[in-house]
Amino acid sequence: MRKGLFYIPLVLFLGLSLFLLSGLFSDPRERDSAIIGKPLPAFSLPDLMNPQQQWTPESLKGETFLLNVWGIWCPTCNAELGYMSQLRNEQGVRIIGLYYVLPEDPMFGEVFDLATLQKDVQSRLQSFGDPYQFNILDRNRRLSMDLGVSGAPEHFIVDADGIVRAHHIGDINPQVWRSKLAPIYQQWAAKP
Amino acid sequence: MKPLIALLLLVSFSVLADGNKELLTFESEEQRRLYAQLTAELRCPQCQNQNIADSNAVVAVDMREKTHELVQQGYSRQQVLDYMIDRYGNFVHYQPPLNRITIWLWLLPALVLLALFLFQLKRRAGQTALRYRSDQSAEPAPSAAKAELEQQLDNIIDRYRSNKP
Repeated sequence: MRKGLFYIPLVLFLGLSLFLLSGLFSDPRERDSAIIGKPLPAFSLPDLMNPQQQWTPESLKGETFLLNVWGIWCPTCNAELGYMSQLRNEQGVRIIGLYYVLPEDPMFGEVFDLATLQKDVQSRLQSFGDPYQFNILDRNRRLSMDLGVSGAPEHFIVDADGIVRAHHIGDINPQVWRSKLAPIYQQWAAKP
Repeated sequence: MKPLIALLLLVSFSVLADGNKELLTFESEEQRRLYAQLTAELRCPQCQNQNIADSNAVVAVDMREKTHELVQQGYSRQQVLDYMIDRYGNFVHYQPPLNRITIWLWLLPALVLLALFLFQLKRRAGQTALRYRSDQSAEPAPSAAKAELEQQLDNIIDRYRSNKP
């Protein structure tokens, strides 16, 4: 009995070390998403390039797609355009952009101008690659808030019935795609 | 001199501008208090470990605006919290709910305390029993005597072991 007690501090120490060690390899940005398994929230938002076209959750149904929250102001988003274009061209991944507009500060003479934004987006997509079927313009970030978006880039996998199946905070790179998102995307895309 | 005046003007105007931006109006003092309380206990999902009142991340600004809007509409504290937790998960509130996982935060310290208490109690009982037995002039029960002899033997062995270089 007393010999057993002798080992308790060692066991406690090892347990604590393991716990702290696992913390070193965890991603602090990783948090539980509240939207997974739920349908897309209601919205009706214009297309970025063609504002007459309105997109709703209904009009997006029918095929699994990757929803990418992004903006040209976000360097990480620009950096992942190339790899996502590759996904579109080589694997046929259907990617839809949700354009996240930064708030303008009128005090600094900033105003929202759709024509300028369209031009900037177009030139950006030309130089970095264009992975998008189309872009939805989230002017006041209402849909982004309903999705639980905390910044850009973020990604959602939405199945053919409009149910959100995955939520990834951060960029998509080959490793993230292969290990985390591709299995989910393929699982839902393969469903008849 | 002129550039200095220009700079002073610039600085004073920018301070004015900043002050104007966040002036919010409320219908009642109660709503103002509720808004202050909510923005202090909601956590910014982007810049971790700041509440949305402290953070100037886009999402925190949006959440502040939304909180203001909901408070104006007469939402209660719990309703606003539910609205945010619906979107950003339990992460967004500094007071996590009691569930299967978080219950251990409360149970574990209590259990450890209880275990230590029981351990101490047992040790005390053992010591008094030993003292009581050595005080007795009468011959202790044979089994107890045997146990005590064994204990002494253990002690001797231990002493020899620890003396070994």
